[in-house]
Amino acid sequence: MGNFFLSKKQNVSELSTFYSFLIGFVIALMIGTIILIIQEKNPLETFSLMFRLSLGSVNSFTSSLNKAVPLILAGLGISIINSVKFWNIGAEGQIFFGAIAVNYIYINTQVTNSTMLIFVLLISGFVGGAICILIPAITKVFFGVNEIITTLLTNYIAIGITIYLINGPWKDPGSLNFPAAEYIGEEVYLPTIFGKLSFGFIVCITFTVIAFYLKNKSIFGYELRIAGGSELTAIYAGINAKQKAFIAMLIGGGFAGLAGGIELLGQTHRLSTGISQGFGYTAIIVAAITGMRPIGIFLVGCLFGALSIGGSVIQTVGVSTYIADIIQASTLMGALISQFFFNYEIKRKENA
Amino acid sequence: MNENILELRNISKSFGETKALNNVDFYLRKGTIHGLLGENGAGKTSLMNIISGLYQPDRGTINIHSRKINKLTPEIAYSLGIGMVHQEFRLIDSFTIEDNLKLSKANIFNKNFDDAYKKYSDIFSLNTDKKRIIADLSVGEKQKIEIMKLIFNNSDIMLLDEPTAVLTPQETEQLKIALQKLAIEDEKTIVIITHKLKEIKEFTEALFVMKNGEMVSKFIDSKSTSTKELVEMMMGEATTYTVKKDNIRSEIKLKVENVSLKDPMTNIKILEDINFEIQGGEILGIAGVSGNGQVELANLISGINKIYEGKVLIKNEDVTGEGVKSRKKLNFAYIPENRLGVGLAPGVSVIDNSVVREYFKTKTALHLSKSKTNKYLNNLVDKFSIKSGNPKAEISTLSGGNMQKLLMGRELTINPEVILASQPTRGLDVNSVDKIHQLLVEQRNNGTAILLISEDLDELFKLSNRLLVIFEGKIIQSFETGEMDISKVGLAMAGING
Repeated sequence: MGNFFLSKKQNVSELSTFYSFLIGFVIALMIGTIILIIQEKNPLETFSLMFRLSLGSVNSFTSSLNKAVPLILAGLGISIINSVKFWNIGAEGQIFFGAIAVNYIYINTQVTNSTMLIFVLLISGFVGGAICILIPAITKVFFGVNEIITTLLTNYIAIGITIYLINGPWKDPGSLNFPAAEYIGEEVYLPTIFGKLSFGFIVCITFTVIAFYLKNKSIFGYELRIAGGSELTAIYAGINAKQKAFIAMLIGGGFAGLAGGIELLGQTHRLSTGISQGFGYTAIIVAAITGMRPIGIFLVGCLFGALSIGGSVIQTVGVSTYIADIIQASTLMGALISQFFFNYEIKRKENA
Repeated sequence: MNENILELRNISKSFGETKALNNVDFYLRKGTIHGLLGENGAGKTSLMNIISGLYQPDRGTINIHSRKINKLTPEIAYSLGIGMVHQEFRLIDSFTIEDNLKLSKANIFNKNFDDAYKKYSDIFSLNTDKKRIIADLSVGEKQKIEIMKLIFNNSDIMLLDEPTAVLTPQETEQLKIALQKLAIEDEKTIVIITHKLKEIKEFTEALFVMKNGEMVSKFIDSKSTSTKELVEMMMGEATTYTVKKDNIRSEIKLKVENVSLKDPMTNIKILEDINFEIQGGEILGIAGVSGNGQVELANLISGINKIYEGKVLIKNEDVTGEGVKSRKKLNFAYIPENRLGVGLAPGVSVIDNSVVREYFKTKTALHLSKSKTNKYLNNLVDKFSIKSGNPKAEISTLSGGNMQKLLMGRELTINPEVILASQPTRGLDVNSVDKIHQLLVEQRNNGTAILLISEDLDELFKLSNRLLVIFEGKIIQSFETGEMDISKVGLAMAGING
């Protein structure tokens, strides 16, 4: 290798992220095929079954979109925080905190108008997520503690608190083997707008637009980009880099918290450990595949939602549900590797 | 008569358009201590990299031990006994002295290590046990181990890059004695590379002097050459430039009063009692070898560092302790020494970097207007002839010259009243240097006050109305327009107030 070096390409196509996603996805399907063959299943049949059960009917299509909502919202949160080149591994915990905050406000609220209450509860979810990331944000921005570790650790704390609450103060006496909090009243269920499609999906579209504007268009997003490029340049430009990064982390945590709120109000209707099935982790994959682009996160989030639905139903024909996880993870691997080759070229050293 | 152990003839080396070495001759006698003298950028490092096989010359011949070497690679150089001590130490901090000395395959004292260690510890006046960990040693001790490593690896030609830079006067004296013993007793051939005049005459027997990629003096006798003569060789003929003075306006635009700065950790003084003022239409140059407090001075004048003693006034307004924004309001422009990392944000696009200074002026409602930022960049590209492709490409895809033009353009397009330019042309090709000089002179002629911090004396003499020399954080000497003399400035940069 001594005679070769990597050189950054001057002109990288703006679609390179999209192409590398496609390449990654194809590689992932190939890996999935190999695994299915090893298991002596027919890959073509399995994939077409997954496709039909996730996208083949209105019913399955809307379930897929509902499943996409937490992936997209948490992914957007991760991408906002990544504007300053920080990594949020704590979306999972923020989702739980969002749900906890929603349940807490629901129990203690005085608001009776149900539309108003839903609105208040959604905001509580956002605030809950922001609270969850508060300590990592303070320690990262002001003391330089590695946020990858601290946000990861908050996941365990959040899940621990959830387990305590559903086994203790909020325990539904009716839930015996599977501990959970009491169901929320139907008056605060998120309405469905089309078939089973939850109102949460509308919220999700709205927040995609907000995140896009925030990251790509707004002055705040610009300041985050400069601070992410070099803190010294930010200081040089008179940008309060620490303050901006702090706010970005809270907003990002809030996005994931909102996802938790939507799951509680629209899907599970009760607080339990089932609020998230690893959405916060899958969201990292979604965000990374798209190079942290909000629109891309929306689209890949929808695809991954469908994959999850497809994956969970093929169990019925004896294929492990983990095939969907494998495809998601290998898409990321394939996309990251091909992204690398879009951005760099290998050159021979002169004079060597 | 001693033979030439190493002989380089007519060596040339270019990097792109820049000629780093031009027809350079360099030869070493066995058992002799040589000095290689030259300013930063004179070509000393390029020459050393050729001798140690890292670079291949474009032209020229290399003879080592009277054998012609067609292609000198690092491996061949090493096997021929060429060893180098770099300014940054290359020891393994967590290993013991013994482990570091024995590390190389080429080690010749594996069997009788203890005897050899004792012998050379005595020569270097090193009183420390071989079992000590490198991380626990003082800088001076580490330096000695680095040089001992060359001996243990059987290097006969020892290249030492700025060996005295980190040493105390006592350690410097010990090093001198040690090197002289090595040259006589072990017949080691030694090269000391430096831009410091102070010790070089005492250390060496023969001197080579480089300037602008050329070898201007070869194998001259160190003892009989005066310091003044050396400075003239290093800096070139004392040329006098005429600087326009008629556009100087009497009002003072930048004033620095009794500024001092201490390192908060070590309490060492970095800047001591700095005083100067600049009028509109004037360029004040600050000369000095890098690392004498220039970066710190620029940081506190520009408002990046807010904690220091003394006062900074811009257009008679006291901005001491205030940040960057206060300076922006007063039309102060700063071209930082660190182009990429301070002036420009790496990893961020060209277009984003182009509006760093004035991004608030390119907004519509809460967001940056695409058309306004594009217009802003296109304006800069036209006005300052910047070669830039895709505005969304990362800033580091631009060449150094174009990056600097973008940065300068961004800062100058607002018609600043005060400019602080720190090393504005370092590492740039001739054309870019000219363009940047032109820009600064234009600004000066428009009545702007300019503080120019530079290591490049040609640049300082060409542009400055007055010149200050900074040495170890103090203004050691100041020169008015008529009194600027290149050899006096050179001596002052070496800490000798003449």
